[in-house]
Amino acid sequence: MLTLELRYIAHVAMLTGNMLKEPWQTNAATMQDLIDELDAFYGGFREMFIDQATGRLCLNAMIYYNKLGEVPIPVINLDHPLSDKGIVTFW
Amino acid sequence: MAVRDNEVQTILRVDLSTGKVSKETLPEQWTRQHLGGRGMNARLLFEETRSGTDAFSPENTLYFGTGLMDGLPVGHGRMSVACKSPRGTVAEGSFGGFFGPELRKAGIDYLAISGKAQQPVYLYINDDTVEIRDASHLWGLATDKTDAALRQELGDADIQLRYIGPAAENRVHSAVIMGNLNNSGGRAGCGEVMGDKKLKALAVRGTKGIRINNYDAFLEAYRDYYRKLALKTSRDPWTPVWSASGAPVLARLFTDMGNLMTRNAQQMSWDNDKAMAISCEPFLDHYVTKAKACFGCPWPACQKLYRIPKGKYQGFKGGNYWAGQPVVFASLIDNSDLDLVLVISGLCNQYGLDIFHVGFTLAWAMECYQKGLLTKADTDGLDLSFGCPNPEGIIDLVRKIAYKEGFGELLALGCAQAAKIIGQGSEKWALAVKGQELEAITERNNYMVALGIAVSEVGPDHTRWYPPYPCNPNLIPQKELEKLGLDLDLELAFQGRNPKEKGKLLRWFTISRAIVESLPGCVFLVRDTLGLDMRPWWKLFRTASGVDMSYPEFLTSGERLMNLDRAFNIREGFRRADDKPPYRMMYEDVPGFGYPRLEPVFDGMLDEYYTTNGWSLSTSIPTAKKLHELDMDYVLDDFQKLGVEVE
Repeated sequence: MLTLELRYIAHVAMLTGNMLKEPWQTNAATMQDLIDELDAFYGGFREMFIDQATGRLCLNAMIYYNKLGEVPIPVINLDHPLSDKGIVTFW
Repeated sequence: MAVRDNEVQTILRVDLSTGKVSKETLPEQWTRQHLGGRGMNARLLFEETRSGTDAFSPENTLYFGTGLMDGLPVGHGRMSVACKSPRGTVAEGSFGGFFGPELRKAGIDYLAISGKAQQPVYLYINDDTVEIRDASHLWGLATDKTDAALRQELGDADIQLRYIGPAAENRVHSAVIMGNLNNSGGRAGCGEVMGDKKLKALAVRGTKGIRINNYDAFLEAYRDYYRKLALKTSRDPWTPVWSASGAPVLARLFTDMGNLMTRNAQQMSWDNDKAMAISCEPFLDHYVTKAKACFGCPWPACQKLYRIPKGKYQGFKGGNYWAGQPVVFASLIDNSDLDLVLVISGLCNQYGLDIFHVGFTLAWAMECYQKGLLTKADTDGLDLSFGCPNPEGIIDLVRKIAYKEGFGELLALGCAQAAKIIGQGSEKWALAVKGQELEAITERNNYMVALGIAVSEVGPDHTRWYPPYPCNPNLIPQKELEKLGLDLDLELAFQGRNPKEKGKLLRWFTISRAIVESLPGCVFLVRDTLGLDMRPWWKLFRTASGVDMSYPEFLTSGERLMNLDRAFNIREGFRRADDKPPYRMMYEDVPGFGYPRLEPVFDGMLDEYYTTNGWSLSTSIPTAKKLHELDMDYVLDDFQKLGVEVE
């Protein structure tokens, strides 16, 4: 079980009931798994972040990932692995 | 109703010394060479301003330029203002709103204002009526009061205005020209020059229509353009962010990325809760009263009018909260009180102060105070610690800067000049280039930004290459780039902290944005592939104006403008040594995320930029071959007369 910190930038927070950040416990191994999980919980995440035609990250969406104290990096591949205490910023 | 043909460009010349007013048509070949707007202003400025002209002399002409797309859905109300800067460089800026389209509807594309008035005046234009009117009763008024007074005096609530505030009247460094209460432009020196001319305001009313040359083709081109901007079809990750939230969201993101200048950029990351407190979410939820768009903008209105809802500043009204204010009035001075940020920002608009001048100079002074170079004996008793322990004192200091009173007189010079007076090493944390303060975008983690800020002819100005990243490499196959005139490895260019390809990337961005600002169009709307593939802009320009030019010709107009701006500065003595980032970014590492200094990579990027441009590596002067290739032999002739060392 991983504990992540999830951050939602303004328009993404529309999906989370205006929640801007929250701790998130998960068994997700990849970014794709996490998006599936959030979609099941909040709805709308797949539509916002996954291009239905290609199955890849939407070209008008961004996800950044880092651990505390590290420089966030843009997630390009949805197979991107997650690890404990990771910070995921959706925007 | 009269309708203007959309291929002839006219200029109204006003000599404030003599009161003479005249109108003429600009040479047709200039439209092919420079399109309009910023490009045409640059040509006028170069041709009509002799080398060595004193910025505060009657001979320094102030140009306001529209362009052939102004008054159409693509112009977005943008217009350019230009003159020679008191810092010696070309001064150019642009602003949005409605003034540009209104001026065109009055039958005027450019204003050239020379001379100096004996007493304060304003220029009144009502179609073919042009009058220089007394403005003694307006002199000294804040911009919001000026706006209201002129509308009442002219009995026209919708008249379009540009005006200056007390800061420009007092020739405060970087003072801006304002309009529509919150649209500012010309921080590189145009406001100071307008104040020096005792020109308080411009008022324009126009009623003519503007003809679209080929309506059906224009509409088709517009549909293609719009698909790249619409929320559902745009392939740009910033489209939903800007549409829903606006630029203040960057403070939240930048602090996570080690990208937020904090305490005068001594640190590059701020407390996340502080960043949240001044981000767009609380602003949108609690302060915004109305949104306002510029002329013909297809996006949700990005200008936000606000009112402070409660607390000691309850009822304070202002407008616009962008990417700049959450940096310069928050993290840079370590202030997380959003009310205070909005009051300082609103006061800057009322006084006509440049927010970047005020923010970076305040932060410079705070670091001086932190290090004991300034004490309460220097600051009129104000505790100038980071964190703003005396907010009322900071608010009063902003007023003192506008009126050059007390300690404000030093800060009114800008941080670079003030540091020369205080000395003792404080030049190292005066965050300016070519005498002009930085903006909100940072450098050590985005090498193209570092290069762009250093070489910008007007001092730091992100609009010269905005947005500062290429589109996603997945959007355009590499082999397509050559067809678009780009010799660029997009994958390498996309890597922010890889110095390779940054010179080439900046060259392309500078050329393409020069084109957008010459149409004019809004660089904020350079989304999706609109920053790499200029054909949609080309189609819009051709179909609207009827000016038939090839795509390579269209691209060359941008390169010509880039070289013209450089040539102006070369003529004034600027060389390679002037193209460098501030000392702090160049030679100091950042604690925390560990971004290294720029020094090891900077010269290589600069070499690549000059080489790709066809400029001398040692001097940065465009070579004779390049100037000839761009039909700029008039520049070459001028250089030779002045003894400029052209290779």
